[in-house]
Amino acid sequence: MKFYIKIIVRLKFQKRRALKFVSRTIPHSGGYNTPKQALGSIPVIVLFIFLTAGYAHSAGVTGGALSASSSGPVELASSSAHVPVQTAADAANPLEEEYKEDEVSDNDTGKAVGEEKAEIADPLEPVNRAMHQFNDKLYFWALKPVAQGYKAVVPEPARISVKNFFSNLGFPARFLSCLLQADFSGAATEAGRFTVNTVWGIGGLLDPSSGKELDLQMQDTDLGQTLGVWGIGQGFYIVWPVLGPSSPRDSVSIAGDYFLYPVSYIDPWYDWLGVRVWQEVNATSLRIGDYESLKNAAVDPYVAFRDAYIQYRLKAVKARKAKMMKSASEEAQSPEREPAVPKKEN
Amino acid sequence: MKKEIFAKNFLLITLVLLLIFAVCPRIVAAAGLFGAPQTVSKEAGGINTAVGYWYHEDTCQNGADHKIRQNMIYSQAAYGAGNIWEIYARLGVSDLKIFDVFSSADPSTATGKDDFEENWKFSGTLGAKIFYPFNETFGMGAFVQGTYYFSNFTDNVSGISGGVPFVADLKVKNLWDVNFGVGLQATLSCGMRLYAGPYLYYSEAKMSLSAAVPGLEYAAGNVSVENKSTAGGFAGADIPLAKGFRLNIEGQYADRFSAGAAISYTY
Repeated sequence: MKFYIKIIVRLKFQKRRALKFVSRTIPHSGGYNTPKQALGSIPVIVLFIFLTAGYAHSAGVTGGALSASSSGPVELASSSAHVPVQTAADAANPLEEEYKEDEVSDNDTGKAVGEEKAEIADPLEPVNRAMHQFNDKLYFWALKPVAQGYKAVVPEPARISVKNFFSNLGFPARFLSCLLQADFSGAATEAGRFTVNTVWGIGGLLDPSSGKELDLQMQDTDLGQTLGVWGIGQGFYIVWPVLGPSSPRDSVSIAGDYFLYPVSYIDPWYDWLGVRVWQEVNATSLRIGDYESLKNAAVDPYVAFRDAYIQYRLKAVKARKAKMMKSASEEAQSPEREPAVPKKEN
Repeated sequence: MKKEIFAKNFLLITLVLLLIFAVCPRIVAAAGLFGAPQTVSKEAGGINTAVGYWYHEDTCQNGADHKIRQNMIYSQAAYGAGNIWEIYARLGVSDLKIFDVFSSADPSTATGKDDFEENWKFSGTLGAKIFYPFNETFGMGAFVQGTYYFSNFTDNVSGISGGVPFVADLKVKNLWDVNFGVGLQATLSCGMRLYAGPYLYYSEAKMSLSAAVPGLEYAAGNVSVENKSTAGGFAGADIPLAKGFRLNIEGQYADRFSAGAAISYTY
């Protein structure tokens, strides 16, 4: 569910793009004549992709034409392939405006990115669709009603504090991810954030680090992005029950982040489950309506979510790579690296 | 005119309260920094948080005097407004050492150690302060704060009494204190605040020894122990650092000297 929630905001901006790409993807998305055929070939495909293409897949970034494989990658619209043209209608819409700012910033880092097409194979589409449907029902039948009740009882500042608290507990995964990406300034920022928020933020309930004065922003990274930075591709699209959209690479991240998340070590298991449910309900209560509006805006919500998820992840990995390159170039240009020139004495 | 009347009343009220505390039966303590009389929260109202360390020494008594020592680490959250008032809450952990409490007064009893020692126990503190500025530089404030320890401190002693070996537990239960004081504050141009003033305090705990051992106190069970002195003085400085942080250092002297420091952050 957490990936659904992460991408909801992105999807709001990508409504038009989703509509465009849906028309392109639908002919590619199946490749199977019947669901039965598709289901029958799933184990073989999964095994094959895991063993051959999954983890060894390139970063999903190509400059070439779309693969013509029947169960192959689905081409997604590039987030940086064109320069946005502002219209009067766009200017009147701040959300669109923000989205375009993102695009511009993509183009700023575009030297590293170039003309790209994000691709994702979806060989498990029938199963994924079923899982997507399951998650959708889980949201509407369980999570949303509980979150609405919770929202009615708990005031917003308290819910934000709870969110801050759990976010602060996610420090180990973010810190390690930064280190594994050789992003030492990011790791230092995370360490500083954790210290300040834990000590002066009442155990993480408050977030003084994000204030104007300290300006230590959370590093939006995880182990999946780390693998992406290392050049490991997404593989193919998976929708996990409860957890939501993912890929083999990001599934590794789910497992890794699980072990790095202190809540995972709560014992007995039902206490852990209770805390995790509370965390999800609290998070959902802060964004009720986002998922609905997105779903209503999409012609095919499954495809829209898949598109948004892959682009979101691709963009995140690109941003991390760009940051790495930037810090590496800064380090190379630092005066310490230049040979010392002795001063002339008069 | 109104301001002058308020100032006179404020002084009168605080002096009366000090007097009431001074003539009250016995008073004791172990609390942490009192802090500058004026809140560090934004004038419009806001939270400030702090983390602090407090080294506390005092003398408690119940017949015999015993020096006590505590090291406290605490986290504080406060809300203040208008530059004149603040309420705060602290959660702290503290150890406790009571010197010579296991020393036997009976020559037939020999104990393995003299001092009571127990490690970290949680405590909670609630407090409030109010400040009245005379002008841009000087002002006066009053505060009240109380601390309660949620769990008991326990230590055991072994030894030989009349040729018979023994082991006994000593419990320090329901340790609490309350402090009240007034302080004068001077604000320097750099934003540093210097403050000093008198305070009164009362601290109490129930002590009980699990076995009646000749020469050892508190075998009667739930014996009240209080602090020896009832009044003291405090002085400190609240120094602005960078990016919203402030350093508060403070010393207190009643029967013995205590000191500590805290770093606060203003939201």
